[in-house]
Amino acid sequence: MTSENRLGAAAREPVDIKAEMRRAVDALHSQTHKKDSMTSDLSIDEELNLHAIGWEPVELVCGVSLYSVPMGVWNWGQGEITWASAAYAHAFEGAIARIHRECSKAGGHGVVGVQVERSIHRHHIDVTLLGTAVRPVGAKRVDAAQVFVSDLSARDFTLLQVSGWQPLGLAVGASFVYAPRRSLGTAMQQKSQNVELTNFTEAMYTARESAMERMQSSALGMAGTGVVEVKVTEGPMDFARHAVGFAAWGTVVRLAGDSHRTLQPSMVVPLDDAVPAFEATALRGK
Amino acid sequence: MADPAPDLPEAANRRFASGAFTSGLTVPDFAACLQMGLEPVGYVQGFCVMQWGWYGVNSPYRRGLSPYGGGQGGYMESWQCPHGFVSAEHRSWGQNYQQSWVEEAWGQGFGSAYSRMLEEAEALGAHGVVGVVDTSDRLGDLGVLEFHVRGTAVKVDDAPGPPGGQPWTTYLAGQRLAKLVEAGYMPVSVAASVSSVRVWAYCMTEYLLEGTNSSWGVAQAGAEITQVASAQMAARQIARERVRSQMAGDSLHGAEMAVSDRELGAGDQEIQCVLRGNRVRRFKDFDPMPVPHPTVKLS
Repeated sequence: MTSENRLGAAAREPVDIKAEMRRAVDALHSQTHKKDSMTSDLSIDEELNLHAIGWEPVELVCGVSLYSVPMGVWNWGQGEITWASAAYAHAFEGAIARIHRECSKAGGHGVVGVQVERSIHRHHIDVTLLGTAVRPVGAKRVDAAQVFVSDLSARDFTLLQVSGWQPLGLAVGASFVYAPRRSLGTAMQQKSQNVELTNFTEAMYTARESAMERMQSSALGMAGTGVVEVKVTEGPMDFARHAVGFAAWGTVVRLAGDSHRTLQPSMVVPLDDAVPAFEATALRGK
Repeated sequence: MADPAPDLPEAANRRFASGAFTSGLTVPDFAACLQMGLEPVGYVQGFCVMQWGWYGVNSPYRRGLSPYGGGQGGYMESWQCPHGFVSAEHRSWGQNYQQSWVEEAWGQGFGSAYSRMLEEAEALGAHGVVGVVDTSDRLGDLGVLEFHVRGTAVKVDDAPGPPGGQPWTTYLAGQRLAKLVEAGYMPVSVAASVSSVRVWAYCMTEYLLEGTNSSWGVAQAGAEITQVASAQMAARQIARERVRSQMAGDSLHGAEMAVSDRELGAGDQEIQCVLRGNRVRRFKDFDPMPVPHPTVKLS
């Protein structure tokens, strides 16, 4: 079996799981098989997917950054809250830079399955990234600048690679705006009318498009051709309901070779009823 | 079944001697375990209620003498005020440091609960414990935590007992455990560790967190709050290294990281990171699978 992708290869012989369990228990009585240990938050399914395309997990890595927002920024105003938008971008840049360094130090070529956590407070914006560094099996270290970061799961990363595409990094765009006010006269006049609130429409439209444009610019800056698995969040701030934030992020991709590799999925009809999967961690009660 | 353990509650020994088995497994996981040759023998658990006092004259760490840490070994970083003036209200110096007493107390609590669970498993003559769940909950007062570790003890058909008599353990059960073994990994033990980092803020951290880094009433541009960012990174890195030190060449699989922070004052905070996972050992050379075939479900 080579490390090249073999789509639709014949199924392996059924495994005698009882014999494998006994063989595994015997391993406890012997020396440790590998010298270099790895840490990973991937499930066994995800790890098997990676190994199927010749990649392996290396280390659990993280990146954290907090960027301050000066006092008074969230007060009533007009247009975009540029300091908040800039702080959001800087917080992401700082977190991505740190996770790049951790990945490179551990010997990884990229980070997959990144959990992106953002929290926006009145005076600071926090970004936390946590994922597993991965690399082609046996590959040498690369510089931090060559590392990619992606919030795609290992399964989706596998599918992307099989299709001939490669992830380049996380593209991020955000825009924070003041919800525009109407004059008292206009508000009174429109109170009993069926009318479009054009000031709201234009402001929200502009803000959303700004966030998407910044994400797209970020992707172009990485020489990518597209962004996949885009997540969009929007809503007013808990501490300032008149301020609305729009954020979008996704994984930048481009073709690794000359052309896309078309997959031919098979149609299947499951014959078993869907059963809830048991998660032992759910018993933690948190 | 082994002889009754002398220090377990009497009810535990009676339960083990009753002849019926208990388990925390779902029916599908139960069936999967039987398929693997794992026979459930009993539901086992361990408890520990810990209190840790690190301030005051009775503290072994003599922490009541100074608000600033250091000197205990481990992670420590210091920051100096860039303004160059001294004032009783101006925090001219700040520090991040590792709170090893919190980590050791947590380790003692978790370790005690874990070893008591193993004691119950050994009393049943078990080879391993699957489907382990561990929780830690505050009990009333600050600084009191209850650790509860439980799982299903199993025996492996036609296999020798574990080396040294100590059962192996894993957070996994059923199908996920079967996939792990089929992939060539054997669970050795659950691994869990905590890191605790204290932030004593210096002036710039305090100002940036409060948004007051202005000059003559004019707001200055934002800046990265490097002291807190460093503490957050350090908490995660320390937890990872502490767990890695337990591996002895094995690997950590299926890790889960939970981070919490508690504000203690203007700019001051305590960051705690708990990292859990399965310590696994490879018992056969990895045989790469063919790329999974994509499918589309019609229902």
